[in-house]
Amino acid sequence: MTNPSLTKQEVGFRLKSCPEYGQASFAGIVTIALAVVLLLNSYQTATGTFKSGVLAVSVAYFVFALLQLAVWRLIRRDLVRAGEIKGSTRALGYVLMLSLLTANVFVATAAFQLVKRKKNAAYTLAVYALLTTVLVFAVTAFNLYKPYVANGFLPGMFLLIATAVLQLIALILTALFADRTVLPGWMAVVAGVLILTAATGNLFALFLGLLLIARLRDKGITSGSKLGDVVERLSRSSTSMLGLLFITFLLTLAITSLMTFDYSFAIDNNYSAILQSPSLTYPLGTDNFGRDLFSRIVFGARISLLVGLLSTLIPVLIGGALGAISGYYGRQTDNIIMRALDVLYAIPGILLAIAIIAAFGASTVNLILALSVGAIPTYARTMRANVMMVSTLEYVQAARAFGASDFSILFKHIVPNSVAPMIVKSSLTIGTAVISTSSLSFLGLGVEPHIPEWGNILKLGSAYLETHAFTAIYPGLAIIALVLSFNFLGDGLRDALDPKLD
Amino acid sequence: MTGHATARGNGFADRIAAVFRKMLFHPTYRLLLLLAGAPVNLIVYAVYLYRKAGHGYREAVEETTNRLLQSGLKDRLLQEAREQLVRKHRFFGQSVSEERTEREAAAIAARKFEAALKEQLAKRLAEDTRLQLSFSETYRSLAGNPLFLALSLVIGWPMYLLMALYANPYSKYIAERLFMTVLVIFGVAFIVFTILYISPMNPAANILGETATAEQIAAFNQMYGLDQPYLVQLWDTFRGILTFDLGKSFAGNENVTTAIANKFPVTLTLTVISTLIAVVIALPIGIISATRPNSFFDYTFMFIALLGLSIPNFWQGLIFILNFSIKLSWLPATYNPDNWLSAIMPIVVLGTGLTAAVARMTRSSTLEVIHEDYITTAKAKGLSRRQVLWKHAVGNALIPIITVIGLQFGGMLGGAAVTEKVFNISGIGSYIVDKQFIPDIPSIMAGVVYTAITISIVNVIVDLMYAFFDPRIRSKMKQY
Repeated sequence: MTNPSLTKQEVGFRLKSCPEYGQASFAGIVTIALAVVLLLNSYQTATGTFKSGVLAVSVAYFVFALLQLAVWRLIRRDLVRAGEIKGSTRALGYVLMLSLLTANVFVATAAFQLVKRKKNAAYTLAVYALLTTVLVFAVTAFNLYKPYVANGFLPGMFLLIATAVLQLIALILTALFADRTVLPGWMAVVAGVLILTAATGNLFALFLGLLLIARLRDKGITSGSKLGDVVERLSRSSTSMLGLLFITFLLTLAITSLMTFDYSFAIDNNYSAILQSPSLTYPLGTDNFGRDLFSRIVFGARISLLVGLLSTLIPVLIGGALGAISGYYGRQTDNIIMRALDVLYAIPGILLAIAIIAAFGASTVNLILALSVGAIPTYARTMRANVMMVSTLEYVQAARAFGASDFSILFKHIVPNSVAPMIVKSSLTIGTAVISTSSLSFLGLGVEPHIPEWGNILKLGSAYLETHAFTAIYPGLAIIALVLSFNFLGDGLRDALDPKLD
Repeated sequence: MTGHATARGNGFADRIAAVFRKMLFHPTYRLLLLLAGAPVNLIVYAVYLYRKAGHGYREAVEETTNRLLQSGLKDRLLQEAREQLVRKHRFFGQSVSEERTEREAAAIAARKFEAALKEQLAKRLAEDTRLQLSFSETYRSLAGNPLFLALSLVIGWPMYLLMALYANPYSKYIAERLFMTVLVIFGVAFIVFTILYISPMNPAANILGETATAEQIAAFNQMYGLDQPYLVQLWDTFRGILTFDLGKSFAGNENVTTAIANKFPVTLTLTVISTLIAVVIALPIGIISATRPNSFFDYTFMFIALLGLSIPNFWQGLIFILNFSIKLSWLPATYNPDNWLSAIMPIVVLGTGLTAAVARMTRSSTLEVIHEDYITTAKAKGLSRRQVLWKHAVGNALIPIITVIGLQFGGMLGGAAVTEKVFNISGIGSYIVDKQFIPDIPSIMAGVVYTAITISIVNVIVDLMYAFFDPRIRSKMKQY
């Protein structure tokens, strides 16, 4: 099968420089792993039989995994023989897209990348925007099995379908036209519509709209904006895009659930359905008060995202400002600010949060404040180091020579050029904040116990570990998935924003 | 006066005098030095004043000033400054009032005149050896006298102790670092106390119950000193932390220090063991990942490490209990100090995050190091892969890893509360959590402050380890 005239290095280089090859192997391996996990879960030790539903899904995953690995083999053969992927192999991507029916985003995203020969950031973003909407639609559709649905369910579902259709059109248009150096003028309409659909919480649609507008305004004169560069690099890393996909999925679900989910399933006790196993009516089962775990986790996403984002945003702003002032003015200012923050730094975050909550009582607002205070020193240190580095650069001296004030030098010239590490750091610490939130809730120190926050759900579930372990497992999986997504995104952002590459 | 000193004594005195002079440049050390050796410094100052008066220093200053004034230097400087200001304002298109320009020009001119005066004076002093007088110079000449030296050692020994610390860069660094740590610990005590002081919670009402009368609450507050003013309570707390006597806890009326002394070793033992195990596991994984970047092995381990970072401790603990205690019955579900098997799950759960963080850091730091030029040189010298990796790369890659271990250890000690609750360990973390509902101020204070002290000490050790291991920091310290 190998071409004898090629050296091992050449083959290795060809395989490495082809993104589809890596994506195919990644998707294949992850799908096999998921299939095995599902298979193990479908087996019931007590009766020695398999649960038919889970088993069917597992088989479907195995089928797509084998298909994906076959395609991977074909890609490898094409690359070794011809140095590029053949059209027939690419066409197989359309078959793999069917894996979306089993909610396998790994194979589906690899397939979308495979069918397009010349990829660009706009295409990738359009694919992910559409995927997000489709996934949210599918998850929301589980409500159909409930005894009744929310008032806004039908209009909400209709809006989701409309959004999906619009995004599909946008995907086809970007696939056809985004390769050109100068975009046609009517693309502005597409961009506008995409930004409108971003109201559902779809970050991909928002970024795509902004990217298209930036390219329209640029008219192909420059080589691209800095944002475009970052998006371009980020879109090449499939793990960070998958991370962003899950975050956007949760965000969209959190926003659309305002309309499409009935809150009463999550908070009202229903003693006729206590501790039910997962079924179509209750996809993840019910807890000891008969509340639907699926609805509770969807509502919990709202709290977790909100607390995670706020308790990162507040210290980024405060710590960033303190660090910037400290790094720019130096000397006594620096000394005083940094020594004061050293004190805060010496208390571990969770312990400080416990002390603050002990003093002011457990509530969501106190929790956000408690987590924020503990995170200020880290951000201040990061910002200070950056500002100190940037303020020695020539353009800062030039600005000073032109008589710019300290304030405008600091906030117009220095801070915008030193935020990149802050963004990376914050994306990595949102995950930590989510873990801290649920840990504190688990201890009874976080969100009020009646609110379905993931830590609270887990706390209730942990009492039924022996008999109904799923009540503790599912919320934990949700936490891990969200934190893992933020970590993947953070890693990807670090690579994309790494100043060393520039 | 200096004639009697032997050559050896003179060398010693010169060295002391050099340290003295150097310390006077630094504002904080100047203050400390002058205070610590107040009696000695008073004598030196008196001698200095006497000699200055005797040698006509003041006359020299007056004479030089007059000479400069007569040469019209001041007017010339004023004129120059005024012109410069006008040109500057014209360039920037600013309109500034005549009066302000004049004021700024006068200030600039005065500054320049002062500088010129100093320069002239220095020139004159250099010519006339009799006038070379300064405080530190006076001290040098006095220290040459063995009698004075002996006397000053007796009456100003704190000053010499300070100078001995300052003279050695290592001892100076350690002393400064310890001093900062003490400040930080008091800062921590201040912050935690203030937070608990302004708390709207009422421990008296929580402990005595809803039915407590106003008198009972007042008696409770008086018993625990809660009716004292803020500063008095703060002072008591500081004193309590230093003397290891933080009083009695509100609930149960037990001695807080004894309670902490019982709980703390449990937490510390578990965290230290899991740190050691984590490092032993994480270092090889990180190094192997770095030597085979982007391989299947690398991806798998880094994915597992990221997963380890993303798992909440309590969930991991619950899953472990579910699988290993409930389903398989291999390990006990709750911790029991007499049964070492019961410590396995808590140690693994505590160490997961640290293992993941250290493995990731080891990988990235080793990757960075093996692309340095000196590694290429080592390879070019013909050293084997193994030698290059272990002798040249890993040693230098360890520095950021030590930082991460130090930081994570602190986080682990603070975050142990969650794991302790899951496995029912009566450590410091679960103690604080149990006490916070009241809130039991002395217990929380003690728990948080002693944890912070431990973490600060660990951080000092980490910092000192740098100073001794990293040749770059070592050479920087020499000029410190």
